[in-house]
Amino acid sequence: MSLEEKKLSENESLKLITEMISKAKSSYHSNGTGAIMWGIVILFCSLFDFFKMQFQFDIGFDIWWLMFLALVPQFIMLFKNKRKKNFVSYEETTLSYVWLAFGASILMLMFFNHYYRPSHSESLFLMLFGLPTFITGGMFRFKPMILGGIICWGLFFISLYTDLKINMLFMALAALSAWLIPGIILRNKCIREAQK
Amino acid sequence: MDFKELDPILHSQLRLAVVSLLISVREAEFTFLKEKTNSTAGNLSVQINKLKDAGYIEVTKQFSNNYPQTICKITKKGIESFEAYVNALQSYMNPNGLS
Repeated sequence: MSLEEKKLSENESLKLITEMISKAKSSYHSNGTGAIMWGIVILFCSLFDFFKMQFQFDIGFDIWWLMFLALVPQFIMLFKNKRKKNFVSYEETTLSYVWLAFGASILMLMFFNHYYRPSHSESLFLMLFGLPTFITGGMFRFKPMILGGIICWGLFFISLYTDLKINMLFMALAALSAWLIPGIILRNKCIREAQK
Repeated sequence: MDFKELDPILHSQLRLAVVSLLISVREAEFTFLKEKTNSTAGNLSVQINKLKDAGYIEVTKQFSNNYPQTICKITKKGIESFEAYVNALQSYMNPNGLS
């Protein structure tokens, strides 16, 4: 539809407003790459820690610092997307603050763990994992992520009664349900839409 | 029956489309507005200037990777006018005030 400068009836005006708002809203969608990447990193670190405890070996450093290495491709992706995109949505801005706050909280919790080595700190990680996931899912009415967030919080309660080794399996399960599976669903959806 | 007057700046197809798009995003480039409204660059440019002159939108011109970029953003006045326009439309659609 080409829009010339013509006067509108009241009905046409309302129809146009609805159409344009819906066009703008549908312009923003995630392709799931970030979620898949974070899912893989957390899954790998959790399973690595589980096997480390199971088979009693040591690599000399905390595998969880890998999370910060994973930030590099995340930032590269962010800048690439920013250059490609020709608009900034309110949702995107809100979400970037939510995930930034999440990243900062994880970093602080890691430093806290490093210095004080408290018991059951992995439960706090599970609680934190649920927060941005639940918000993101809720904002986009994306049920797999809402469910992922709830699973993380459910695992938080269970992990209070289990030991560190089992909790590492819970962290892996949280990574799968909060990021990896929703990320794959988003990616498939994005590919299907691109093929249309 | 009390019919509110429709803002002539907004009561035009392309200008209303641009403001409806800008109300939904934080900011948008000229190319985004052109793509979504399916209008010609010349016509869009004229309508954007009218909205800018009315103080409904802010237009920033800059260079990004050696390409000129025009970024549009709705102003507080633009939001208020859009809300007033929608309220006025509702008074036409529902003159008895019944929901």
